[in-house]
Amino acid sequence: MQSNYYPPGTMRDLLQSALVTEKTRAELLPRLEPDGEVIPRVFDIHAFRTLRAACARIIPQVDRADPVELALRLDERLAAGLGDGWRYGTMPPDTEAHRRGLVGLDESGQALFGADFATLDGARQDEILRAVQRGEAPGVTWAALPGGRYFEELLAELVECYYSHPLSLEEIGYVGMADAWGWQQIGLDQLEPWEPRAVDDAHA
Amino acid sequence: MTRMHERTYAFHEAVDALVIGTGAGGAPVMARLAAAGLSVVALEAGPQWNPAQDFATDERSQSKLFWNDERISAGADPLHFGNNNSGTGVGGSTLHYTGYVPRPQPDDFHLHTEFGVGMDWPLGYADLAPYYDELERFLGVSGPSPYPWGPPRPAYPLAPLPLNGPAQLMQRGCAAHGIRTSPAPNAALSAPYFQAGVGWRAACTNRGFCQAGCSTGAKASMDVTFVPLAVRAGAEVRPGSFVTGFERDSCGRITGVVYHRDGVEQRQRCCAVFLCAGAIETPRLLLINDLANASGMVGHNFMAHTGMQVWGRFEEDVRPYKGIPGSLISEDTHRPSDVDFAGGYLLQSIGVLPVTYASQFARGRGVWGEALREHMRSYNHMAGINILGECLPYTSNRIELSDAPDARGLPKPRVHFTAGENERRMTTHAEALMRAIWDRAGARDVWSYQRYAHTIGTCRMGPQAPDSVVDQDGRVWDVPNLIISDNSTFPSSLSVNPALTIMALALRTADRFLERIRRSET
Repeated sequence: MQSNYYPPGTMRDLLQSALVTEKTRAELLPRLEPDGEVIPRVFDIHAFRTLRAACARIIPQVDRADPVELALRLDERLAAGLGDGWRYGTMPPDTEAHRRGLVGLDESGQALFGADFATLDGARQDEILRAVQRGEAPGVTWAALPGGRYFEELLAELVECYYSHPLSLEEIGYVGMADAWGWQQIGLDQLEPWEPRAVDDAHA
Repeated sequence: MTRMHERTYAFHEAVDALVIGTGAGGAPVMARLAAAGLSVVALEAGPQWNPAQDFATDERSQSKLFWNDERISAGADPLHFGNNNSGTGVGGSTLHYTGYVPRPQPDDFHLHTEFGVGMDWPLGYADLAPYYDELERFLGVSGPSPYPWGPPRPAYPLAPLPLNGPAQLMQRGCAAHGIRTSPAPNAALSAPYFQAGVGWRAACTNRGFCQAGCSTGAKASMDVTFVPLAVRAGAEVRPGSFVTGFERDSCGRITGVVYHRDGVEQRQRCCAVFLCAGAIETPRLLLINDLANASGMVGHNFMAHTGMQVWGRFEEDVRPYKGIPGSLISEDTHRPSDVDFAGGYLLQSIGVLPVTYASQFARGRGVWGEALREHMRSYNHMAGINILGECLPYTSNRIELSDAPDARGLPKPRVHFTAGENERRMTTHAEALMRAIWDRAGARDVWSYQRYAHTIGTCRMGPQAPDSVVDQDGRVWDVPNLIISDNSTFPSSLSVNPALTIMALALRTADRFLERIRRSET
């Protein structure tokens, strides 16, 4: 398990300091709040369980005390009818793509291992996801839905969700949200006097 | 600027000019025409932002600046829209452009003469040079003087912005490889700057968020430059106004524009229309209304610059989120020798924000699981170079109306894009060069990301009607009072970022319109 880039608490302290503008704080602080009861609106319980299982393999968070609820973020986005401005012409609209794709994961699980995706162990789930990514997964769904594109879209969305969370940014050493003063020390190996220091010299 | 001084116009009042879109194509037109005393109303699909209050330093929430209505991407190289190239709000895509404003070189306008492929422009560098001069002064471009490539030009009004980590690394790699570099011309202020009609704008704080919205006004987006200038001169801007159609008289002249605002259909009477909605929405609106398409060319010859990025990991702490993203340039590859393709490209250092980097890495490399999180722990050591290169026009690369309706019931656009042999050869050449530069600079774990940038073409200008949609003044051949001013009229892509040329062409288009009015009055 990897250590964080910054000491624990760095991001929480930073977001509540005068180094961050009010507007930025108002966007980022609420993301630190736990989600409460997780109730999907677009996916049924079975599909949501499949999605959460896939999320746990695509972006494993076993080391995090409060994992980012990636599946819920995707469900919320679809429920709100929001998009990112484009979709592949070979893909159906987002909600349909995900509903079908999650069925496809079960079909592949049944074809390869005789069980639904969410009930399989991690290694077998990974095998299915790799097959989907390569466009080689078995199942009637994948004959019509291009697996490679589906996986790419799912992966990109989960990654964007994960790294929009302040504690994920703490993990990689990003403090660009400290926007109250701007940056004077912008060259190689330069840090502002007030900029947090990495835990581990290997990062510095 | 105080909004209470804004002039407004009644729906039944036939305004001299109705401008659709307030980006780099529309805002300069508004300002020029209003300054000449014309009555001007601009309709903008997106909202009016107050950057200081509305813009967070957060990629997720700033996605509100992108044109997020869905486009359907087809072809062998389906394009990414949204954050890659399309904005909304007063200011249009300049709300999220990086402000990288190199001038084209004279030969960019004569690609066909030089190589026998692509298209020549019906006008040349000399026609636009006075406008480039004017724009660099007005916007407050920070850049090197003298500039090492292209024809001589007046000194940039401000000194270059400081080089960030990726720029220092590219400088090092290029020096070792024998390639000249220079701090880039950027439309962001390296010192406070005053312009009459606009007021003072503050110097750039190196916040690094140009592509997700400048909160300080240092970047010369249209909402802090030409739009306030236009409003001060009497133009009215109506945000949240999505144009759906036109009213025409028996001669085919447009007499009014139909639009939706707050769910209500409105009609504004007008004497002339400037359509400045960009290379997707402009042809889409024309196709929906079966307008201006006697040539059958509307929507065709869509272009997107070759834009490959090459990323590397460095020992040094790079902090790629600091400073203006593209702070270094080289145009040594503008017309490279001993190559198997037409045209050329420029090289640009690039910083990057973490969500964008992670998303590109995931898409480009297909990496997931623990390996993805491990890669991202090196984010602070990443630096990139990208190219911006010529893309030839092909009639098969086009936008068309799909049968999928959007939320308004209008057909979503489908955009076909397949890179040609020329684009592939150029990209291959550039990738090898960028990898060599990064190798010299000490990069490890180098990877490349295939991408295409900007939306260009679809309503090309030309010398005569059958082969083009507009003339060199932006006038649509087959509608007497419809003028297009945006990147859709570019006959070829130019091997530089388009924003500065869109603005230059917009000012020229407005001046030509004013000349015609004056001639008809005398």
